[in-house]
Amino acid sequence: MTVSIRGLTKRYGPTLALDHVDLHIAAGEVHALLGHNGAGKSTVIKCLGGGTAPSAGSITIGGTTHDALDPRSSIAAGIAVIYQHLSLIDRLDVTENLFLGQETTTAGVFLRRADQRARAVRLLERVGLDVSPDTPVRQLTIGQRQLVEIAKALSRDARLLVLDEPSAALSPVESRRLADLVRTLKAEGIAVLYVTHLLNEVVELADRTTVLRDGRVVWSQPMAGVSKTDLVTAVSGRAHGAAVAPRPVDPDTPPALAVDHLQAPGLHDVSLVVRPGEIVGLYGLVGSGRSRLLETLFGRRPATSGTVAVDGRAVRVRRPDDALRAGLALVPGDRLRQGLFGSLSSGENTVLRVMSLTARAGWRRPRAEREVFRSTAAAFGLRPADPEVPVSRLSGGNQQKVLIARWVNDRAGTRVLLLDDPTQGVDVGARAEIYEVLRQVAAERGLAVLFASNDPDEVVALAQRCLVMRRGRVVDDLDMRDTDEEQLLDLIHSELEPS
Amino acid sequence: MTTASPPTVDGADRRPPSTGHAAAAPSPVAAAAGWLVKNPLLVLLVVMVAGVQLATGSQLGWGNLRGVLLDAAVIAIVAAPVAMLVIAGYIDLSVGSTLALGGVVAGKVVQSGGSPLVAVGCALLAGAAVGVVNAVLATVFGLSSFIVTLGMLTAVRGVAQLVSPLPLSNFGEAFGFLGIGNVAGIPLPVLLAVAVLLAAGVFLTRTPAGRHVYAIGVNREAAYLSGVDVRRIPFLLFVTSGAAAGLAGAITVARLNSAPAGQLGAGFELSVITAVLLGGIALTGGEGSMVDVLVGVLFMGLLRNGLTLLGVTTFWQNVASGLALVAAIAIAAGTHAVRGRMQAREAHRPDEPAATG
Repeated sequence: MTVSIRGLTKRYGPTLALDHVDLHIAAGEVHALLGHNGAGKSTVIKCLGGGTAPSAGSITIGGTTHDALDPRSSIAAGIAVIYQHLSLIDRLDVTENLFLGQETTTAGVFLRRADQRARAVRLLERVGLDVSPDTPVRQLTIGQRQLVEIAKALSRDARLLVLDEPSAALSPVESRRLADLVRTLKAEGIAVLYVTHLLNEVVELADRTTVLRDGRVVWSQPMAGVSKTDLVTAVSGRAHGAAVAPRPVDPDTPPALAVDHLQAPGLHDVSLVVRPGEIVGLYGLVGSGRSRLLETLFGRRPATSGTVAVDGRAVRVRRPDDALRAGLALVPGDRLRQGLFGSLSSGENTVLRVMSLTARAGWRRPRAEREVFRSTAAAFGLRPADPEVPVSRLSGGNQQKVLIARWVNDRAGTRVLLLDDPTQGVDVGARAEIYEVLRQVAAERGLAVLFASNDPDEVVALAQRCLVMRRGRVVDDLDMRDTDEEQLLDLIHSELEPS
Repeated sequence: MTTASPPTVDGADRRPPSTGHAAAAPSPVAAAAGWLVKNPLLVLLVVMVAGVQLATGSQLGWGNLRGVLLDAAVIAIVAAPVAMLVIAGYIDLSVGSTLALGGVVAGKVVQSGGSPLVAVGCALLAGAAVGVVNAVLATVFGLSSFIVTLGMLTAVRGVAQLVSPLPLSNFGEAFGFLGIGNVAGIPLPVLLAVAVLLAAGVFLTRTPAGRHVYAIGVNREAAYLSGVDVRRIPFLLFVTSGAAAGLAGAITVARLNSAPAGQLGAGFELSVITAVLLGGIALTGGEGSMVDVLVGVLFMGLLRNGLTLLGVTTFWQNVASGLALVAAIAIAAGTHAVRGRMQAREAHRPDEPAATG
C-alpha cells in the first residue's frame, strides 16, 4: 500500500512551515526524511499524525485521500507515529499500554485480560522485546518503551510507521536492534518514514531519501549510488566550506569563564574555558550532559566538586541567583516552562531582573526600565518593539530575543551567556537573526557565549570552537575553522558504535 | 477612589492592551466597548446600585453607606494581602480563625489594663505569628498552602478559645474608637482599609518585589531561574496576611465590644476569598490588582445590603451571594474569551507553533 503526500502546505500566520511538499512512500520501503531543525520535518509528522491540519494538500493512503487527519482518523487510516517524546502511560503495565483505547472486552464492558495478555506476548515477540507484559512501563528503558510503542502500532495494523529521530536517545546496542526491526517490518510490507539527523543511519537503512529545507522538498532520490557527502550538500544547501568563518579570538586572552575539574551527578571532570568575545558550542546527543553542564554552571543543579571562575574570580554558585550575581546567565532550553512569563508583557519579561538593579531605595524607576527595553529591542531587532504586548503573543524567535535581552543589556552585568538549544522552535529566518544577535553580543560587548546544541549545522554556523560531549565528559575541543558538518556528524555517529 | 496606581508603560496592569499596536487609535465607541469588556463587574456594580437606589431610595444615604463600608473595610484589610498570595499562586484560608485570635488577644490586653495601641500591636503580633507558621510550612517545606492553611484554620480557632475560654466584653470607649470612631467624618476602619489597599497597590506596581509576586504566580520555575527569591516573597506575604487578620480581629472586637472566641470571624475566610475571586483575581495566579479587590469587596457588601433594603430574607441573600460569585466568574471567563478573540484579530503575528522542525 503506497502512501502519497501531495502539495502539503502548512501556514502559521506569515510563516510557511511547509510549501507544497510531495512525498511518496511505497509499501516495504524505508523512506528517510532529512533536514535541519525548522526545515519542516516535524510539521510533516504532525500532519500525518493528525496533530495539526494542513492548510492545503492531501494525504492518500490505501486509496483513500484525506485533506486533513485528526489523531483518530490517522490511526484508522493505518498511520502510526512514534514520537521522540514517547506517549506511553508510566503507571500502567505493558499490556494495558498496548491496548489502551482498543481494549478487548466481553459484552463491551468487561476487560478480557488473559486474552489481551496473550496477544501482548505475541506482539512483544514480534518486535523482539524480552520483557514480561505485566512490567510497569516506568521500569523500562527508553529503547524498550520505543519497542512497546512500535508493538502498539503493529497491534493496530499500522501500514505506515513514522519514526521521529528514533535513535536520538538510544544506546548503540538498542539502535542496532531498532535497525534490525525496521528491516524486518519493511520485509513484512510496512512503509516506514524515518526522520533523522544521522546520515550513517540513512545510508544504512533507507531505500529512498527526501530532504527538506525551509519547508520545501529540495532533494528526493533513491539511495542507490548516493554518498554521505551528497546528503550533507543537499541538507545544508551549499558546497562545503562556504560557511562564513567567525572572527577568531586571541587564544592568549584571559578566559571570561574557566571551569576546572567540575564534578556533578552525570558530569565527569569537566574542564573548559571560554574567552571574552568567543562563541563556543557544546555539541552532543541527548543525554550526553550538554544541558546538564549548563544547568550545573548556572546553579540549577548542584556540583559536587571543582571550581568555576568568571573573569578570573572564583565563584561559588549554589542557586541561579548566585550565578547571576557573578555574571553568569542562562537562557534555558524550555523557553515556555523555564524562561517566559507568558501572560506578562514583553517589557516586563525583559526588565524582570534589572528592575531590582535599576531601582533606587527600593522603588522602581520606570524610565530606566523603559530605556533598557528600548535599547535592547532596537539592538536585537525585536518585533513588535512594543513593551506592552503579552510575551506569549510573540513569535518563537522574538521570545528568544526577549530572553537574551533579559540578561544582555546595559544594566545586567552579564559576562558569560549560556544558552541551551538557542533556536529550538524558531523558524529559519529568525534563526539567522538569533545567530546575528549572539555574534553581536560577543563582538560588541565582549561576552563569552557558550551554547549547547545537537544540530551540527548550528554549531558550524555559530561556533568558533566546539566542545564535543559524550557521557558527561568533554571529549573533544575542535577549532571550527578546520571542522565541517560532516566531521561533526561522524563524531556523533561514532558515539553510537560499540567501540 | 483609586487604590492602585494607573497602569505603567512596562505593563503593571494585568490586562493586555486592547490594541496590539500603538499606532491604531481606537474610536471612542470601540474604546468604551473595550473598557466594558475589561471591567464587567464594575459595570454590574453600577447597574445594581442604580437599581437598588431607584427602588428603595436609601442605599446611597450616608447612614446606610457607613454601615456597608464598615463591614467592607474589615474584609478589604485582609483581602488585600490574601489577594497578593493568590496572585503569587498561594492561598490563605486561616484568616477567619486568625481574626478570632487577634480579637481575643486585643480584648485580653485591654481588659488587663493595656492601652488600645498596645492591644492593636499585640493583635498584629499574634496574627503575624500565625502567618509565620503558615509561611514556614508552605514556603520552606513546600507543602500545599491550601492544606496548610486549612489545617491552621481549625488549629488557630482552638488556640483562640484556649486564650479566652469565656467570651470577653466591655472594653471601654477608648478601644471602641478603633471600631466605630470617625476621623474627619470617616470611620477609622475605612481609613485603615484605604491605607492598606493603597500600600498594597503601590507595592505591587512600584517595587521590584511587587512585580516579582506576579512573576512567581505566572511561572515559578522561570522566576527562580531569573534570580527571583521565590521563597522570601511568599513568606513575607503570609506574615502580612496573618498580621492583617490580627488587625481585623482587633477592629471587629472593638466594634462589637465583645470577643466570643468561638464565633468571632467564623466564615470570614470565605468572605475574603469570595471577594478576591469576585474581583476577577484568578486562583491560578499571576493576575489581579488592588482595584479588583476593591471592586470585589464593594460588590459583595453592596449586593447583600441591597437585598436587605429590598426586604429579601437572609436565606435568600445567601442564595444570591453564592450565585453572584458563580455568575461573576462565568462572566469573567466569557469576557476573557471575547478579549482573546479581539486580540487575536488585531495581532499582526499569530503565535508561532511550538516546534516547526
